[in-house]
Amino acid sequence: MKDIYLNFPAFRLGSQRRTLAEAEAANGLFSAASALEDAGFGTHHVCPEGESAYDLARGALDDMLTTYPETRDLLPKIDLILYVTCLPLNGNNGDVHQFESSRDVKHLMDFPASRLQADFGMDNAYVMGINQQACTGMLGSIRVASAMLQAEPDMQHILCITADRFPQGAAYEQAYNLISDGGAACIVSREARGYRFLGAHHITNGAMATANDEETAGFYFSYSHRMITELCRKAGITPADVQWIVPQNTNRKAWRILSSVLRFDFQRILMPTIGTAGHCISGDNIINLKTVQSEGQIQPGDKILLPMAGFGLNWSCILLEKVAD
Amino acid sequence: MTSERILVTGADGYIGGMVCDRLLANTDAQLLLWVRSNDAEEFARKQAQLEQKYAAQRARIEIHTGNLYGDAPFATVNPQQVDRIVHAAAVTAFNVKEDVANAVNRDGTRKMLAFARQCPQLRRFCYVSTAYAAGLVQGDIKEQPLPAAGPFANHYERSKCEAEAILQNEYGDLPWHIYRVATVLAHNDAGDVTQYNVFHNTMRLLFYGLISMLPGTEETPIYLVTGEFVADAIAELSVKAVPERQFFHVCHRREESLPIGRLVDICFEVFGNDEGFRKRRILRPLFTDFESFELLAEGLSGLSGQVVSQAVESIRPFAPQMFVTKQFHNDQLRGSIDRYRAPDPETLVRNTVQYLVNTKWGREV
Repeated sequence: MKDIYLNFPAFRLGSQRRTLAEAEAANGLFSAASALEDAGFGTHHVCPEGESAYDLARGALDDMLTTYPETRDLLPKIDLILYVTCLPLNGNNGDVHQFESSRDVKHLMDFPASRLQADFGMDNAYVMGINQQACTGMLGSIRVASAMLQAEPDMQHILCITADRFPQGAAYEQAYNLISDGGAACIVSREARGYRFLGAHHITNGAMATANDEETAGFYFSYSHRMITELCRKAGITPADVQWIVPQNTNRKAWRILSSVLRFDFQRILMPTIGTAGHCISGDNIINLKTVQSEGQIQPGDKILLPMAGFGLNWSCILLEKVAD
Repeated sequence: MTSERILVTGADGYIGGMVCDRLLANTDAQLLLWVRSNDAEEFARKQAQLEQKYAAQRARIEIHTGNLYGDAPFATVNPQQVDRIVHAAAVTAFNVKEDVANAVNRDGTRKMLAFARQCPQLRRFCYVSTAYAAGLVQGDIKEQPLPAAGPFANHYERSKCEAEAILQNEYGDLPWHIYRVATVLAHNDAGDVTQYNVFHNTMRLLFYGLISMLPGTEETPIYLVTGEFVADAIAELSVKAVPERQFFHVCHRREESLPIGRLVDICFEVFGNDEGFRKRRILRPLFTDFESFELLAEGLSGLSGQVVSQAVESIRPFAPQMFVTKQFHNDQLRGSIDRYRAPDPETLVRNTVQYLVNTKWGREV
C-alpha cells in the first residue's frame, strides 16, 4: 500500500449571509431560531437567485488557488475530477425548463464536472460523479480517490470537489441543523503534504432512506458511534489514539453527547465554523479542516477523524494524520 | 356472623381494581370501593363503570368518592363499619410533579391514616408502597423500615417513602402492613399488557429506532413483576392471619430477575422476528453514563421532536435507578403467602415484548 495524502482544503459559501432571525423571518426554518442558536448555530449563507451550485464549485476552486498559489501548477496535472453533489439536481447545470419546452434531454446532462475541467484548464483530467451519499459524499469521494490512486499507478492527483445549493424556496434546516449553500474542495495525491490518509469507513442503511427527522436523530448516536469505533478498529487504533475530531457542523449538544459516549475530550472536537457557516451540506469537514489548519491547532503526527452523517441514511468517516510540510 | 367490610382506595386503578376482583372472588367481604373524582360528573362515570364491572356482585359493593386534595376525602365512608383498609390510591408515574406527589401520595396517605384511626373495628391497614421507596440506596434492601431518607430518583419514590415513614412514626399503633411493589411489566405470565408504563414506552422507542442511548449499566438488575402476582399477594395478605406491622416485598429476588443488559438483548431478539424491524437495522442502544443521558434529555429540544422528547422525559426521572444495584429480599413475602412462584424472567420478558410488538403497543389489541 502506498501512502496517499489529502491537501489544500478550500471552500466557498453562498454569497448572501443571513442571521437566524433573518432566516426565520424568511420562513426558512422548521425549528425556532432560538433552538438552533442554543445548538450552536448563528449565521448561514445562501445563494441569491442566479447563483448556482456550479458557481460555488468554481468559488471553492478559486479559494484553493488563492489560498495555496502552488495549486496553480497542480491543476493542469489533475488526473481525475471527482464531482460530488448531495442533491442530485445539483449535478446538472442545464435548464429543466428548456428540456420541458424542447423535449431534448441534453438539457438534463449539462455536467458541472465537465465545465469545471474546461474552465480551469484541467485538460488531463477525466470526470466522475458521486451523488448517492448525501452529506457524506465528499468523504466518499476522498475514499474513492485513495482507492483509485492505489489501483492506478499512473494516476498522481485527484480533485475532490462538492457543491450544493438548495432550490429556491427551500427551508434551510434539515434534521434540526441550519444549512448553508456552499462548495468545498481538496486534492488527494501521492505528494507527502498535508494529511496522510489512514482509512475510511462508511455505513449505509437504505431501509431508512426516507426516515423522518425524529428517526434520523434517533439513529444518529448509535450509528455514529459504530462508524467511528469500527474505523478505529480497522486502522488498528482506539478513539483514545486520536487527537482531534473535525466533524460536520451539527448541534453542539449532539457532539457533547457523542464525545461522552466515545470517552473523547469534547474540547478536542473542532467545529469552528458552526456559528458562521452552519451545516454546509457535504463540505463541513473540509471547511472546518481548513479553518483549524489556519489557526495552527493541528500538529504533525496528530490523528484526525472527519465524521459525517447524511440522508440515505449514510454515515461516513475518514482518518487522517497531519504530516510535516 | 356478618361479613367484614373492606375499604379499597384506588378501586378503579390497575392494582386496586385487581385486588377488588380477588377480594370479591375469594372472600365474602363487603367492599367499599373508593375512587377519586373531581366532580359529580366524573364520579357518575366511574360509578357506572364499577357497577357494570361488578354487576354480578352488586349487593356486595358500595361506591364512594372523594379527592385526596380535599380536607375530608373519606367523609362518605362510615368509619364504624370498616374492618380493613387497602390504600392503593396513588399517583404512580415516575415523572409526577413534586406538589402532586406530596398532595396525593404523602398527604393523601396521612388523611387516609387519620381516617383509619377513627375506625374502631380496624383489623388491618394495608399500604401499597413501592420497592423504589428505598430510593437510590444500593445493596441489600430488606423487608424492614428503610434507612435514612433519600436520595431519591424522583418525587414518586420520595413521596412513597415519606408516606411509609408517616405510617410508622405517627400511626405505628395501627395494625399495618406495607407492601413494596416492584415495577409491573405485564398483566400475567403470558405477557399480556393492560397498563403501560415507562418500560413499555422505552421498548417502543427502541423498536422504532427513536432512541439509541439508554442510561445505566448493563449489570443493574431490574425487578419486574406481573400485575396478577401483585394483586394475588396483596389480596391474600390483606385478609390473612399474618402478623401485623410487617413489610412485604412484592417482588422477586435478584436471582429471579434480569440485568438490564440481558433485558435489552431479549427485546432485540424478539424485535428481530419482525421483518420491518430487521429491515431497518436498528442497533442495540448504547448504555451511557448519567451525565450523557442528561445531556441528551436536555438537548432534545433542539435535537428531536415531540414524540422522542416526551418519551425521554418519561425515562429521565427513573434514569438514576438504572445505575444502582439493589438486592431485594422477600423472605417475609415467601413465608406468608400460600403459593409463591417467580416466573422465568427471560420467558416473561420475551412474552411481554412479543405482545407489545404484536399489538403495536396496544393499538391493535
